[in-house]
Amino acid sequence: MAGQIKHIIDTIIEKRSRGNPTIALTTKTKFIFKGVNPDRFDHTSADDPGLIARVRAIGAEMGVSV
Amino acid sequence: MSIKTAYSTKDLPDALADLKTQSADCRPRAVIFFASSKYDPVELSRQMKAAFPEACVAGCSTAGEIAGGKMMTDSIAAMFLDEEIVGQTALAVVENLSGHVTVRDAFSQMERELHAPVSSLDIEKYVGLVLVDGLSGAEEALMERIGDRTDIFFLGGSAGDDLKFAATHVMADGGAYTNAAVLLLLELKRGFDIVKTQSFQATGKTLVATAVDESLRLVVEFDYKPALEAYAQALGVSPEEAPSLFMKHPLGLMVDGDPFVRSPQRVDDRGILFYCHIKQGMELEVLQATDIVAGTRCAIETRKATGVSVSGIIDFQCILRTLQLRAENRCDQYGAIFSGIPTAGFSTYGEAYLGHMNQTSTILVFR
Repeated sequence: MAGQIKHIIDTIIEKRSRGNPTIALTTKTKFIFKGVNPDRFDHTSADDPGLIARVRAIGAEMGVSV
Repeated sequence: MSIKTAYSTKDLPDALADLKTQSADCRPRAVIFFASSKYDPVELSRQMKAAFPEACVAGCSTAGEIAGGKMMTDSIAAMFLDEEIVGQTALAVVENLSGHVTVRDAFSQMERELHAPVSSLDIEKYVGLVLVDGLSGAEEALMERIGDRTDIFFLGGSAGDDLKFAATHVMADGGAYTNAAVLLLLELKRGFDIVKTQSFQATGKTLVATAVDESLRLVVEFDYKPALEAYAQALGVSPEEAPSLFMKHPLGLMVDGDPFVRSPQRVDDRGILFYCHIKQGMELEVLQATDIVAGTRCAIETRKATGVSVSGIIDFQCILRTLQLRAENRCDQYGAIFSGIPTAGFSTYGEAYLGHMNQTSTILVFR
């Protein structure tokens, strides 16, 4: 399996921003400050269980469950 | 008079009388002040609130002040915002930053004052200012917690103490605090813009932090090599020469081509200590310094060119930028960038906007 990390990040940004492009960008920036750069992941990125857990945890910190 | 700025170099209590005189035609709803560490913070905060009892009053100690188109030291710079500019205000203090940083109580406090959840506020009308103890080392955690809770933009700076590095203070409504942060939420009736400017360009060379001690803001390894060796290699110099290039070549955490600067502080026997943390796995770009005055002027002029009014500015300016301007005897040139605009600000021990950063000016522009 591949691409889960991108899917989870995209879902978190979408839920958090609710379509507001400014909030989408700042949410992406907040991800980068937390040590996860969304640009590094695409649909072919391996489903690293540790990273998936980290991204889910970031979502939880932001009040978004995925 | 919607926004007024004033400054005084007098001692207490005369400084307060001076500020009152300069702001006599203003009935401020909020007063934001930045003061040299020569002032006793407890007494200063008490007297500021006593002088402006009907206003929401917040401030901090500094490593230099900015007001009236001047960069100063040993002074108090203040900005007065009246009801034409400010609607609702909410002020809260986050204490015990050296412990587990939590902003829950501060947000609850602000929500009680606003009679609304922060999550319901219009991000184009409400802005947050954050003033934080500059020696707490907790800015990253604080900004993360704030950013987790809200999409309201918070910007600000870390309090200074005129380069004594002994104690910095934040002040709110008559109280003075260390190991703490002040959060001030303002409803700005005409709206606002945020300008983040840092005078650096990317070099195209990157370093990945492969071993860090985040709590110490220490990078042990870049690219699986000793940090200093890898940094020097990226610049094409010897490890012995590399520390002399720290100011001109900090690292940038890049977001869509925009750097959030992380400045090397000094070499430690385990690696390079930075002025803000770098997480394991972060990819950073090596930056090249450009002209501070020209870069800042361009940022302000670009904002002015939008045609949207500029009623006032708060400039949170990194002390490293100020030190460079002082060394180059260019403080007057920097101050002149803001001439004609009511401006207040201070030289910080770190800047805040979405996160914590260095060698940057984070600027609030009041429309």
